[in-house]
Amino acid sequence: MTINDFSPKRYYKLVLPTVGLLALIKLTAWVCGAGFDKLGKGLLQGISFVKIMFPPDWSAFPEMLEPALQSIAIAFIATVLGTLLAVVFAIAAASNLTNPIVRNITRFLIGLERSLPEIIILLILIAGYGLGVFSGIVALSLGCIGMLGKLLGDVIEEIDHTMIESLEAVGANKLQVIWFGVIPQIVPNLVSLVLFRFEINIRLSIILGAVGAGGIGYELDTSFGLLQFHRGLTAVLIILVMVVGAEQLSQFIRNKIKLKGALK
Amino acid sequence: MNAQLTLPSAKYKQKVGYFTASLFVTVAVCIYLKYNPFLIFADFTPIQRLLGEMLPPNFSLLWQPTIGKAIAQTASMAFLATFYGCLIAFILAFLTAANTMPLKFIRLIVGGFLSLLRIVPPLVCILIFIIAVGLGAFSGMLALIVITVGMFGRLFTDIIENTDHSAADAIYSVGASRLQVIRYAILPQIIPSFIANCLYAFDVNIRVAISLGIFGGGGIGYELYMAMQVLHYQDAFALICLIIIMIVLIEKASDYFRTMILGKEKLR
Repeated sequence: MTINDFSPKRYYKLVLPTVGLLALIKLTAWVCGAGFDKLGKGLLQGISFVKIMFPPDWSAFPEMLEPALQSIAIAFIATVLGTLLAVVFAIAAASNLTNPIVRNITRFLIGLERSLPEIIILLILIAGYGLGVFSGIVALSLGCIGMLGKLLGDVIEEIDHTMIESLEAVGANKLQVIWFGVIPQIVPNLVSLVLFRFEINIRLSIILGAVGAGGIGYELDTSFGLLQFHRGLTAVLIILVMVVGAEQLSQFIRNKIKLKGALK
Repeated sequence: MNAQLTLPSAKYKQKVGYFTASLFVTVAVCIYLKYNPFLIFADFTPIQRLLGEMLPPNFSLLWQPTIGKAIAQTASMAFLATFYGCLIAFILAFLTAANTMPLKFIRLIVGGFLSLLRIVPPLVCILIFIIAVGLGAFSGMLALIVITVGMFGRLFTDIIENTDHSAADAIYSVGASRLQVIRYAILPQIIPSFIANCLYAFDVNIRVAISLGIFGGGGIGYELYMAMQVLHYQDAFALICLIIIMIVLIEKASDYFRTMILGKEKLR
């Protein structure tokens, strides 16, 4: 295919999709009310606003520490409990451990959960249990099922089958097969997935906090709502430190496990 | 393990140590948050009450024009953000990749910018953009663009850096310019995975667009939040069903296109 090739094949492959894409962009931009003129004006306003936000209000720093700790604690507990839930779901979703009916039902439930954003689960839970830490933790733990359940289920389906067979041959029951045959094989994958999920949960706990799960996200949202932008900037900086810290921590643990070959 | 025959090995002790420590920390954090993990299994009354209020879902709501507009807004937010976000990420990735950008300081600057975008939480983005351009789908879209660039900039850089160098070397040695090297040696290698990642980005962006809607980004998320706030649970349940259907459909469509494009590229 050269540059000056105007054959019908090229026309169908390149020109039509491009025109369609441009039309779609125009349409969607109209629906969103987006436009470059608005963007230019908005960017100027945004830059002047970011200037207003500086400097951060360091006097608010000590009272922000407690919500920040709360956010981290929410993410941590949700990761631990969510992992336990997800392992149960993953085992039920693995074709080599359960019968097809249970597997399909579990896969359906996992898919359903995965298509439900955590924030909607939180809204439902808030309607039931009220605002607070409890709803946040449960929403995040349930959110683990969708991602970890599916990925772990795939991991379990790919494990070495000889170990399970030999355990069954010497008369192990289902629970023993899972505890001694399956869990040791998936632990390396499990740890790396859980660390990844912990990073996601830290980010999510901030968003969920703003809706009403408490923590630093709530502080951020209220300070923006009350137009206390210097205070808001302090919260932003704390959040950035939290996110980077969680990332570094998980990277550190991952490297350490890889180096030592522990938990294998 | 039988203690008379074999003493617990060092590895076993270490495992038990890790396990006990993590259990201890978990319980301590639970106590700190005053959170009882068994409460959800013990007390079903709030969920029962809620289900009683939510059923039957008020599906007649879905025929209202505002809902149709909200869906269109969410979908177009995600689409525009995917398009512009991936485009920007694509260009920035060429400026960050070591095999397309010879100047080290530009690589460092753009790479640092991408890492900064990656760690900025979506909540901060949307709050700033709401003040900059006002409530509505436009601010949600702009926040989504920032999130998309942060998420995929690094990924595209890795894809570009992992391309096969021999083709680039070959045409560079016969006198091709840097742009020609990119056009004829690097682009053909990365286009399939780029398109696949764009489809994946659209998939992710739909979910994020719904979440951003709750904070004033407009679209279906905002409608749902409003329905929840004014305690119209039957409307909310209908909207939740709609959101699930929308996400599942888009996921299936994106999967379909991805296999189609990747399959076609493989055949060529």
